Amino acid sequence: MKTLLTKVGLLGALLTAGAPPAPALDGGVVIANSGVAADSLTTDGLKDIYTAKTKYWDGGQNIVIAVLPDKTDAALQQASGMEASQFKTFWQRLAFSGRGQEPKSAGDVAGLVSLVASTKGAIAIVPAEAALTGVKKIDIK
Amino acid sequence: MTHSKQKHILSLTAFILAAGSAQAYDLSLGTNLPPVDLHGFFSQGYLDSSKYNYLGDSSRGSFNYTEAGINASINPFPRTRITVQGFLFEVGNAGKYEPLLDYASIEYTFNDYFGLRAGRIRKPGGLYNTIQDIDLARTSVLLPQGIYDARFRDFSTSLDGGEAFGTLPLSKAGSLGYEVYSGLINIAADSGVADIINNSLTPGKITSFDQFEETGAQLWWNTPLDGLRVGAAFGYAFNFDYNFTEPTGYPPPYNTASLNTKGAIVVQQYSVEYLWKNWTFQAEYYHLQTSQDTFDAGTLANHSFTYENTWYGDASYRFNKWLEVGGYYSELYQGGTALATASQGYQKDAALSFRFDPASWWVFKVEGHCIHGTALLDDNTDNPVRNQNGKPWYMLAVKTTFSF
Repeated sequence: MKTLLTKVGLLGALLTAGAPPAPALDGGVVIANSGVAADSLTTDGLKDIYTAKTKYWDGGQNIVIAVLPDKTDAALQQASGMEASQFKTFWQRLAFSGRGQEPKSAGDVAGLVSLVASTKGAIAIVPAEAALTGVKKIDIK
Repeated sequence: MTHSKQKHILSLTAFILAAGSAQAYDLSLGTNLPPVDLHGFFSQGYLDSSKYNYLGDSSRGSFNYTEAGINASINPFPRTRITVQGFLFEVGNAGKYEPLLDYASIEYTFNDYFGLRAGRIRKPGGLYNTIQDIDLARTSVLLPQGIYDARFRDFSTSLDGGEAFGTLPLSKAGSLGYEVYSGLINIAADSGVADIINNSLTPGKITSFDQFEETGAQLWWNTPLDGLRVGAAFGYAFNFDYNFTEPTGYPPPYNTASLNTKGAIVVQQYSVEYLWKNWTFQAEYYHLQTSQDTFDAGTLANHSFTYENTWYGDASYRFNKWLEVGGYYSELYQGGTALATASQGYQKDAALSFRFDPASWWVFKVEGHCIHGTALLDDNTDNPVRNQNGKPWYMLAVKTTFSF
């Protein structure tokens, strides 16, 4: 019994100690539509967006996530805590139950940047070397 | 299937497949209005069982397993979202390809902590209730049927009312997501729920269901451990009333041609999900209890109390973009004053699933089931002998889904 209580205590301590801070996005930078007022986000704030806890920017504009399948999966995993397939399923569940807007996909980096530039409230992770035209870079702190 | 229903399905399928080539679709309404976000899906399944007819006439092989839906959403004002989904389905005798309004709601999100949603809404309940008929959002063909019974979706999935929702931060302990709902549910007299009850009344028959109310809540603790969440759901449905004609040969005290039953249903559900690397682990426990009073000419003639306990454990692994493999084991027990021991009162199901994603808009699944017990065969009168003396029976499930 004492052993069991010790294990439960350790599990509780592990769960409430908090996860270590996320490292910088692996090879990716965060961009947003130029109409978005925010210039920076915390790692927790970014994760809240990618896990649907935060669905609107300050001011009320809805957040539209744009993704580039296969090219930024590692950074997406760091931002959301989910592998790419889990991330896709997570948002399909929200979209088809009337609880969220499924991320929009682009076929290549230029297309993703263009999609973010033309979509109000859009946010995306792009490869660090991407040419950023018509969008703003969001600092992650 | 009637000719008009075939036309419904073919039209819907053609539309979805055509739209699917463009994937997600934005419908522009004008320069000053945001676009309408459109999505849709069409799923066709095939069930083939070794012995019993389950979810249709599966012992002869059944294609009566279809789901299709189209949804649209728009954010017309800040923090405001309107969404609507049309849906039709057929599984066994339930659904009958009749188009229905699955949900149609407007929500306003005050902040991350609090929002309101009203209209026809999908009822939260565990990991899958809001999406139990969305094939593309899971590994398996069939969810554990003791909890997510495909025949009962008109009872379990939607209600007309509203809910409050939000996520409360818990500092280092993670966050707490909540949905608290209340509303009205309508069941058709030819629904899957009615089939179950009718089979216990033969040749009596349900003539109508009254609209009933349900109130409940879903809580999710998003733990600080990445990927781990723990949930609890509660639901209380009351005024679950229906009228039925007298079964021939029913034992006394019934003596009139028209009878009425008033009932209440209590549901508890506990869930845990852990996403770790390419693994997904899930487990749920579900308890349902039903209390019913049957009145004969206004006089209480019978009282019954039944309950069901179901649990399952599930694990799946994503190998690459196009292959995911998963399996689950579930047990359902039905009971009155005690849990059942005869095979008609339980169903134990071991399932192994292979999911293929040939394209982002196309999913194909193959699944095998080894089943002990026959508790969930009670809607099909083509299963005269359900006592299988502990011997297993088997089912093959194949399903494909197109979506955009």
